[in-house]
Amino acid sequence: MVMVLEPGYLLHRRRYRESSLLLEIFTPQYGRMGLVARGAAGGRRSQTGVLQAFQPLLFSWRGRGELKTLASVEGDGPACFRDGKALFGGFYLNELLLRLVLRDDPHPELYQAYDDALQGLGNTETIEVTLRIFEKRLLEAIGYGLVLDREVDSEKDIIPTAVYHFHPQQGPSPSTGSAGEGMTVSGATLLALSRECFDENKDLQEAKQLMRGVLQFHLGDKPLASRKAYMRPARSLS
Amino acid sequence: MNESPLIERLIKALQCLPGVGPRSGQRMAFHLLERGREEGRRLAGVLAEAMEKIGHCELCRTFSEQDLCSVCANLRRDHNQLCVVESPADLMAIEQGTGYRGRYFVLMGNLSPLDGIGPEELGLEVLAHRLREERPAEVIIATSATVEGEATAHYLGGLIREQGLKATRIAHGVPLGGELEYVDSGTLSHAFSGRQILVE
Repeated sequence: MVMVLEPGYLLHRRRYRESSLLLEIFTPQYGRMGLVARGAAGGRRSQTGVLQAFQPLLFSWRGRGELKTLASVEGDGPACFRDGKALFGGFYLNELLLRLVLRDDPHPELYQAYDDALQGLGNTETIEVTLRIFEKRLLEAIGYGLVLDREVDSEKDIIPTAVYHFHPQQGPSPSTGSAGEGMTVSGATLLALSRECFDENKDLQEAKQLMRGVLQFHLGDKPLASRKAYMRPARSLS
Repeated sequence: MNESPLIERLIKALQCLPGVGPRSGQRMAFHLLERGREEGRRLAGVLAEAMEKIGHCELCRTFSEQDLCSVCANLRRDHNQLCVVESPADLMAIEQGTGYRGRYFVLMGNLSPLDGIGPEELGLEVLAHRLREERPAEVIIATSATVEGEATAHYLGGLIREQGLKATRIAHGVPLGGELEYVDSGTLSHAFSGRQILVE
């Protein structure tokens, strides 16, 4: 099977065998894929330079099975951003995709969300909002979409001023005061996340904690390496 | 194919070198045994000694058999400039290719969160300590022009500015002898945004 000039992004590259690179790419048609770029390590082939994350690319590959062979790659427009803060946000998006999305499982809507998020990261003022929206859409795409606008049991609308108990798998229910599994969250935060529009900084902060808890549930025990790296420069710069 | 287990072990051991597979490992082993016994012994001696004695320079972390490497030990080097590079090979490239007379710090890698390489792995605490002690007038960040290199540069920039020091980044652009038509668009846009005023 030969595919020519498929659009996509590089999520991660690492050395593979002696002189090759193992690429993880994300495309709208084929989802996440593993490709081998033979002889591309160490800048030996001219195309290595363009093989960078956060840069729209056109991939050509051949082969069947889990690992395909990269035939060629070319740039498809300028890189989405070069700012350092945005780069750390980008690493976080890529790690989420690598951890939560399986290979060879097409997700056109998730690809669109990823593309939107990369464009959004270019604006460093709203990085946190961009990350929250991507996390929400990612969960939707992989079948763990969150219920944010109504109570799970009674189907009652969420009231902005009320406080809810949020179970990572089920969704919001009226807060009973007891902790149990899950988090306590305000109605305003749930609605802001549902509308993807954050007017209040405190809602954004609370949404971050909420999404962290929910993602933790799906990611398991192994922590996200990019979150650790992202936290530190942010702190050292403030 | 080989009946001697020692030859097998030699061939296997040679394969730790970059670019050496079973075939070339066998060729090297047979060459040493047939025609290069003396050189082979010398290689074994030097290799054993090097593995034992070569460590990292206390100041810049490059490879050195003394506590300080020759650049750090050289008192005539400019103490006002500090250049941060990713690897000893990068250090050698700058030494050979430029007239740089300042000193270095070698990260031995770059920040790559997805591979689990964070600030501790790069010895950034050692660098921060050096910046506090030496207070160079300029810190030149010479990491690769890859996303990991840029992320490293961003992190270093924060660390350097935190100490009230000046950070500069090496330029990216059209290579010498390069024709614009064949330069990739990313490099070209970098070169374009980093254009300079022509001076006489």
